[in-house]
Amino acid sequence: MIKERTKTHFSAIAMAAMLGVSALAAPANAETLRMAWAQDATGLDPHKQAAFSSIRLLELIYEPLVRLNANLQIIPGIATSWAFSPDGKELTFKLDPKAKFQNGAAVTSADVKASFERILDEKTGAVNRANYSSVASIEAPDAGTVIFKLSQPDVPILTAMTDTNSSILPASEIAAGTIGTTAIGSGPFKLDKWDPNSKEVLSANKDWAGGPTGVDGIEISVLPDESAILAAMRAGQVDFALLNDPLIATLVPREATLQLNRAPALAYHVLQLNPSRKPMTELAVRQAISCAVDRQAVLDTAALGEGKVTGPLTMPFFASDPNGLFCYKRDVEKAKKLMADAGVADGFTATVIAATGEPPTAAAEAQVLQAQLAEIGIKLDIKMMELNVYVDTWLKGDFDMAVALNGGRPDPYTMYNRYWTKTGNLQKVSNFADDEIDSLMQQGRAETDAEKRKAIFNAFETRLAEQSPWVWLYTSYGYTAQQKSVQGFVPMPTGSMFSLAKVTVQR
Amino acid sequence: MMGFLRSIFAHPSGRIGGAIVAAYLLIAILGALGLTPYDPLMQFRIDRLHAPTVAYWMGTDLFGRDVASRLMKGIGQSFTVAFFSVAIATAAGTVLGLTTAWFGKRWDAILMRLMDVLLAFPAILLALLIVTVVGPGTWTSVAAIGIVYTPIFTRVVRGPALSLKSREFVDAARTFGSSRFYILTRHLLLNLVAPLTVQVTLALAWALLTEAGLSFLGLGTQPPAASLGLMLSDSRNLMESAPWLMIFPGITIMLSILGFNLLGDALRDILDPKTRRA
Amino acid sequence: MNYLTRRLAAFPLVLLGVSVIVFFAIRLVPGDSITAMLGTEAGLLTPQQRDALAVYFGIDQPWPVQYWRWLLNLFHGDLGISATYGKPVLEVILQRFPLTLELALLSMLIALSVGVPAGVFAATRNERPSDLAVRVAAMIGQSTPSFVFGLLIIYVLSAGFGVLPTMGAFTPLWEDPIRNLGQLILPALTLGFAFAASVTRVSRSAMLDVLSDDYVRTARSKGASARSVVWRHALPNALIPVVTLSGIEFGYLLGGAVIVEQIYALPGLGRMVLEAILQRDYALVQGAVLFIALNFMIVNLLVDLAYVALDPRIRLENQ
Repeated sequence: MIKERTKTHFSAIAMAAMLGVSALAAPANAETLRMAWAQDATGLDPHKQAAFSSIRLLELIYEPLVRLNANLQIIPGIATSWAFSPDGKELTFKLDPKAKFQNGAAVTSADVKASFERILDEKTGAVNRANYSSVASIEAPDAGTVIFKLSQPDVPILTAMTDTNSSILPASEIAAGTIGTTAIGSGPFKLDKWDPNSKEVLSANKDWAGGPTGVDGIEISVLPDESAILAAMRAGQVDFALLNDPLIATLVPREATLQLNRAPALAYHVLQLNPSRKPMTELAVRQAISCAVDRQAVLDTAALGEGKVTGPLTMPFFASDPNGLFCYKRDVEKAKKLMADAGVADGFTATVIAATGEPPTAAAEAQVLQAQLAEIGIKLDIKMMELNVYVDTWLKGDFDMAVALNGGRPDPYTMYNRYWTKTGNLQKVSNFADDEIDSLMQQGRAETDAEKRKAIFNAFETRLAEQSPWVWLYTSYGYTAQQKSVQGFVPMPTGSMFSLAKVTVQR
Repeated sequence: MMGFLRSIFAHPSGRIGGAIVAAYLLIAILGALGLTPYDPLMQFRIDRLHAPTVAYWMGTDLFGRDVASRLMKGIGQSFTVAFFSVAIATAAGTVLGLTTAWFGKRWDAILMRLMDVLLAFPAILLALLIVTVVGPGTWTSVAAIGIVYTPIFTRVVRGPALSLKSREFVDAARTFGSSRFYILTRHLLLNLVAPLTVQVTLALAWALLTEAGLSFLGLGTQPPAASLGLMLSDSRNLMESAPWLMIFPGITIMLSILGFNLLGDALRDILDPKTRRA
Repeated sequence: MNYLTRRLAAFPLVLLGVSVIVFFAIRLVPGDSITAMLGTEAGLLTPQQRDALAVYFGIDQPWPVQYWRWLLNLFHGDLGISATYGKPVLEVILQRFPLTLELALLSMLIALSVGVPAGVFAATRNERPSDLAVRVAAMIGQSTPSFVFGLLIIYVLSAGFGVLPTMGAFTPLWEDPIRNLGQLILPALTLGFAFAASVTRVSRSAMLDVLSDDYVRTARSKGASARSVVWRHALPNALIPVVTLSGIEFGYLLGGAVIVEQIYALPGLGRMVLEAILQRDYALVQGAVLFIALNFMIVNLLVDLAYVALDPRIRLENQ
């Protein structure tokens, strides 16, 4: 027995030596966190980058005025305190005097003003601009105070400011036009090196106002195949990884040395119907589709049950029990009756679009939905598209149905005003307007009392599920995997990995 | 024709390769006729990711669909893509190769430069570009793979056609007043059958691999239809929890390519006078 | 010389053709640099914001104007700036190229050092069991999709032995040769497996042809030993088709091996082009495809020249 074991051990060493492997020769600097993800950031301008992968990198370098904690409550960022004026038309921030950019300059109100003016400037092409339509002017009475003057009461504006897309940049860099080429923020890490689609090297920012970081630096490798990420973690090459595919994530707990972190995400998987296309113009047809879909089955099959069936609102504070929503219990008989009422008892043919690999479950969801809707005579043709082709088609509203994973926001208004208000930027995509829904959105925007807001958005959710412009399916988990030697990571519903700032590694 | 089949059968690789290809064709026909153990699209929810059993010989996939039935259907799908794309490449390549050889001069110069342009693209990249522009689907894959292989066939035809053109029997036919078209088709084509047949069988093997590669990148056959490449690439992230999803399509695709390669070898031995040893 | 100049003269024309196809093909694909950067959030942009970003990415002018501008810059040796990397296209390509070149060379080395001896061995054992074994192995090698072979290697190594070569960040040869080879050996094996299979097959059949040729028979009848006949007299001639095959294969490998790079997370040319297409980094796609095409043509020319050098009977003018 002993002999046998020595032999295996020996062969592993021999193999390792042959391959020049790092498994046995740990790097000299034990304080660096070795990280991996499958998709790399696409750029460094925090105001312009919307991709999930870009935000994950930029949130370690740049800081917004305020942040969210794991319960989605607003906590200090660069600003230590904030307050709305009684009429709700003025929002004042006090800045942290310790906050410093990585070039040594203090973060002042001038930087905040310049950053927000950059976002508001149409020439910038800032992605978050639409959330600041109520900003009339920005004032900086002293270096530590910023006042936003609003044209109307706007409660969700504070949540929008937690976004990495609203980060504060140095006014000097904005004037020099170097944003996007050099990354100088006030966050916990500095970007030393970026080799796109290959690796990032980050080092700790000693001057960070949030105190010392847990590791000296982070080295991120881009491993495009998630099964390869798992293999690298098994071999001890990677300490921490971001995973997307539940098929891979569910394998992590099988490994003794690895740990899987799951956070219920705000983003939702949805079957978008196009209510401007016949016969989905008919309420009864849309409702029939909603009744014919078995949401739990979609979740069980496509995502191995990794997630939760959801209504339109995914944030815990606002969400209601989905079982109380229209037709969340599958009812094929009712669906057939609704189809007959709408005069399409024999069913119809429609095309559903989905993006290849984005999310990884998209193709599977489409196939389960196809099988379910076939039961009420709806014949779905699945059209898989490369992500960018999909985005283009989706933005034009050029589809009968679409399988989508849409981003969630902590505030229902910020999350949905683009689709369900009459002036929403994405009316072209949702193709649906309803007086009652529109007016509920406007009330929710202005209401400052938390409980009253909750009631308003509850009514909004019920109405939306009943009108069924879309069929909300489920929310999944945001996954990270780590060696058990890594400590202190806090998973967030937004998918944020900001807590990497305080993570430590015991080797 | 019978003599030809007999000589394939007499050749050892021909026998094995021929048997494999014939078996696949039979399975593909059974699949096309719907004579599969189960409906290949039927999702048996309670039997998801079931390991191979008596009921499901090759197990079930993520959706609870019978892998064996999907393989039968998938063979047909993959072979359709391979056959049609190679047919396009052969037809286009033959026409282009013959005309360039025959007319020469400017037509030859222009077309061969165009072929050089296509050849200079890496094959998978060219296919990828075509598929992203047109959008994926069975017939896009067919067109993409067909276009990728057209320059190769053009060259295969042009070389022998050039040397045949200068030979006497063509001159003789010309002096007897045969029409151009007649000379082209009758004499040249007949003499090209051998190199073309060999090239076709080998290209079929490549086409199967290219289809698998495109599907691996998500640009091949569209779900829920099955193709060998798509089944293989879908199994990627399930390799550990459901290895049968990779093993069976993997073996199936390897065997089919093996079949075409063996058959191609045999055909080369039989048809190509240069390597004929008897 | 006449042949060489004629071949070289065709280069610019072919490259022009390649550039036209690439330039317009990638613009025909729906979506652009803006949707690639912003995803569905691009829908929140005002028309003015959209125009500003189009100027930023250099995609505001009509396509022919864009092409003309690009062509003019090309003549000044300027391939443009990559939108994702924020660096000159040529710099990005040259940064990725060493890996691709090294991987191609390593794969070819593996293929030749395994394939040629195996092929010669099989030829001398014609139709005997050992010949059959080699041929079956070669057939399997040629019939295995590279991603199946690659994924299997990774799985067996990591799950079975708990080791794996470092993936992701790539170490150039000159910085740390051992680490570098450790990273490249598995991808090179994956590529070399199929490559070696075709080399085996070609060298076997070429060897068989040569062995039945007159001059080899003469050498044999003059009493040369079997070994000397095979290695000294027959092999050099049998190598001609092997050179052609490996040359063409090498030319393809220089264009990057997308799938193998994807699996082993190697930042090579193939993955770079794929990612550039997906991110609609137009300048990078154009520059890279042009670069790959040029390499391919040079390698092909060298193969043809080597062909002549090896076989004096062939005169290029007749080709």
